[in-house]
Amino acid sequence: MLGLRGNRRKSDEDTDLDLVPIMNVFLVMVPLLLTSASFFNLKIINTSVPVLGNSESVIAQESDIKLTVIVELEEEGIRLSALSDEADTEALNQVGTYFAKENTRQYPLDKLSSFLQKLKTQYPKSDTVIIIPEGSIIYDTIIQTMDVARYSNDVQLFPNVVISGKVG
Amino acid sequence: MALGRSRMRSRGFIPPKLQMTSMMDMFTILLIFLIISFSEHIVRFRIEGDIRLPSSSAQMDFKERTRLVVLENSLWLGEEKVTEIKDGAVVGLDPNNLKGSILYQRLKKCRREVEQSTDEGKDKNLILFLCDKRLSFKTINNIIKTAGMAGFPNFQFGVLKQ
Repeated sequence: MLGLRGNRRKSDEDTDLDLVPIMNVFLVMVPLLLTSASFFNLKIINTSVPVLGNSESVIAQESDIKLTVIVELEEEGIRLSALSDEADTEALNQVGTYFAKENTRQYPLDKLSSFLQKLKTQYPKSDTVIIIPEGSIIYDTIIQTMDVARYSNDVQLFPNVVISGKVG
Repeated sequence: MALGRSRMRSRGFIPPKLQMTSMMDMFTILLIFLIISFSEHIVRFRIEGDIRLPSSSAQMDFKERTRLVVLENSLWLGEEKVTEIKDGAVVGLDPNNLKGSILYQRLKKCRREVEQSTDEGKDKNLILFLCDKRLSFKTINNIIKTAGMAGFPNFQFGVLKQ
């Protein structure tokens, strides 16, 4: 009887996992991460207001033509046009177009995006867009238009954004 | 004999075991959440009042600089309130005489301070612009024109990352 009891090995006993060191680590890491947690990620869009400058007319090759695209946000739709010292009038007229608001009363930003992508393919050197909203257009719509004009499907379109009020 | 031995065993003190499994679960979830929301670039400034920034796909981080905050009913330059906004119009800002406004004077003063700053890396023409997304361009236009005239033609429009 005594011999049988002695055969019980110590390895058969249950061992408890010591969680104290892990808890120590957590108690240090949690306050550290809490101080550096950011629940709102603030980013920025660089833009500018128009300034007067001297523009010199330069004779450029077709592949080097730079257009400045103008996006006018109107109450009922989006009007596009372009400016350039290097392109002829016919080429600039081809850029002129109008996208009316859809039945849902949303601005057709997807159509604008497709059009700007095509324009960028034709004039790859172009990098500037001027956005001219009407007075009643809300800021959120302006930012969404900027997003569409700057990038599309991770492809850079017109990263230089200028915002201006209507003249006249 | 057997009964006597069990009585002897019950007198021994058994220390209570702390059940930490639940606490471990809680800390693990908290840790994972905080690791996900960890950010190297911590934004810390105070804005009086409610502001809803627009969302955007923009990726660029901002650098702390002169800050112009446009709320639905007030306009702030840094931590200082400049004027109020009523029915979409900035009080004291005449579109025909922007240079005569208090906003222009405050911005000019700010511009002088920035000019005197010895920080070489700072773009002195740049201003951080935080505006409520519900405001119309009619309200914003005069403000940004005034800022442009006061020597801040370049803006960083603050947006929330999508």
